[in-house]
Amino acid sequence: MNKLVSRNIIRIIFVLLIQLILLKRINLTFGDFNYVHLSIYPVALALLPYKMPRPLLIIAAFAVGFIVDIFYNSLGVHAGACTFVAFFRYYILNFIAPRDGYKKDALTAYEYNITWFLSYMAMFLFLHQFMLYSLEAFSPVYMKEIILRTIFSFIASLFLITIGKLIFNPKY
Amino acid sequence: MRNLLYLIFRYSAFLVFILLEIFCLFLITNYNKSQREIWAHSSNLLSGNLNQRVQKLEDFFTLNAINDSLIRENARLLETIINYRIQSDSESFQAFESISQDSSINYKLIPAKVCDKTINLRNNFLTLCAGKSQGILPGMGVISKDGAVGIVRSSSENFATVLMLINSQSRISAMIKSKEYHGNLVWNSEEIREFRMVDVPKHADVAIGDTVVTSGYSISFPKFIHLGVVRDLRIIGGSNNYDIKVELGYDLARISNVYVIAFDKADEKIELISAQDE
Repeated sequence: MNKLVSRNIIRIIFVLLIQLILLKRINLTFGDFNYVHLSIYPVALALLPYKMPRPLLIIAAFAVGFIVDIFYNSLGVHAGACTFVAFFRYYILNFIAPRDGYKKDALTAYEYNITWFLSYMAMFLFLHQFMLYSLEAFSPVYMKEIILRTIFSFIASLFLITIGKLIFNPKY
Repeated sequence: MRNLLYLIFRYSAFLVFILLEIFCLFLITNYNKSQREIWAHSSNLLSGNLNQRVQKLEDFFTLNAINDSLIRENARLLETIINYRIQSDSESFQAFESISQDSSINYKLIPAKVCDKTINLRNNFLTLCAGKSQGILPGMGVISKDGAVGIVRSSSENFATVLMLINSQSRISAMIKSKEYHGNLVWNSEEIREFRMVDVPKHADVAIGDTVVTSGYSISFPKFIHLGVVRDLRIIGGSNNYDIKVELGYDLARISNVYVIAFDKADEKIELISAQDE
């Protein structure tokens, strides 16, 4: 149990470091095509323990989002998206629950299987990205940009997360 | 109390979520330039829209008062126009005889609502929801925004009956505008818009299409109140006068607001005329 907590804290710090030092500098703009933004930090929120109390989870997500916001200079945008997706994580998990329920506390591909993990990650990430770019644009006037950004960033980020899973494949 | 605590505990996730989201929105709209502008614009749109709706509702309830004030305003404007027209028409005479301006003829307009009217009888009357208390007296002329309507026949404290133009007893002193030939307008009791103008001498150069207005010889109407247009003219055999068919320029069946004309020198004029008769 202690290991679960410490591993999660380490993962959050590690993912945030990658996000804020590495991914923030990567600029994937091709001419007018400015729709790809990499974000890997939602994976740390998705992998938080299953039995974590929901209010605590939401507060943790808010804190992570807030830290990202400070570095991205967009106070409230990432925090809002993280809070949103943390609240809906419960319903996503219920929606794609394995046949015999969640027996293990760690929601990793190691404990369950890769198909389940990828579909869970996809839903989680898509919701996060959509909320993130909606809050960033802040008006339904920019619906086209919001959708394009959500789709392309979602694909790129999910690809990155899959690579990370293949490299690390954490147990907790 | 325990139930309340239980409720808070039960929905703690949702409450935390809502609180944090509101906080995030607060942060977004306060610390991000473009989002703040969008927020300000949208909330302005919303509040503006709401204000507009409330204003519309308010307007609806004050419609009656606004209507009344507009009618009063109209009366005042018409009054000014009528008096100005008469003055400017007689200006040359005034200059010639050097009569001072304040002795000029003065007409006042009293706005009134139509309570009741008949239009399909031989003798049609109009009932006004205003009477002596508003200053309406028998003999005063009644006009609508388009032209003459009739003459007040009797008035009680709060009501007045008007003998309309479309009455077999009605006889209005009229003239051909710009030619100054004077005659009397009577109704032929058939069509609501068709009138006859009699007593115009046959040497007058009246043409079809000439405008007919009030003459201002009677105490009821000032000069130049619109009546209608000459449609047809003939001379009856053996008569010295024209028989002119006049089409009224407006619809007497559709009047709802009228103005009663009070001539402030009516008594003087009546006295003089009755003294002549004796």
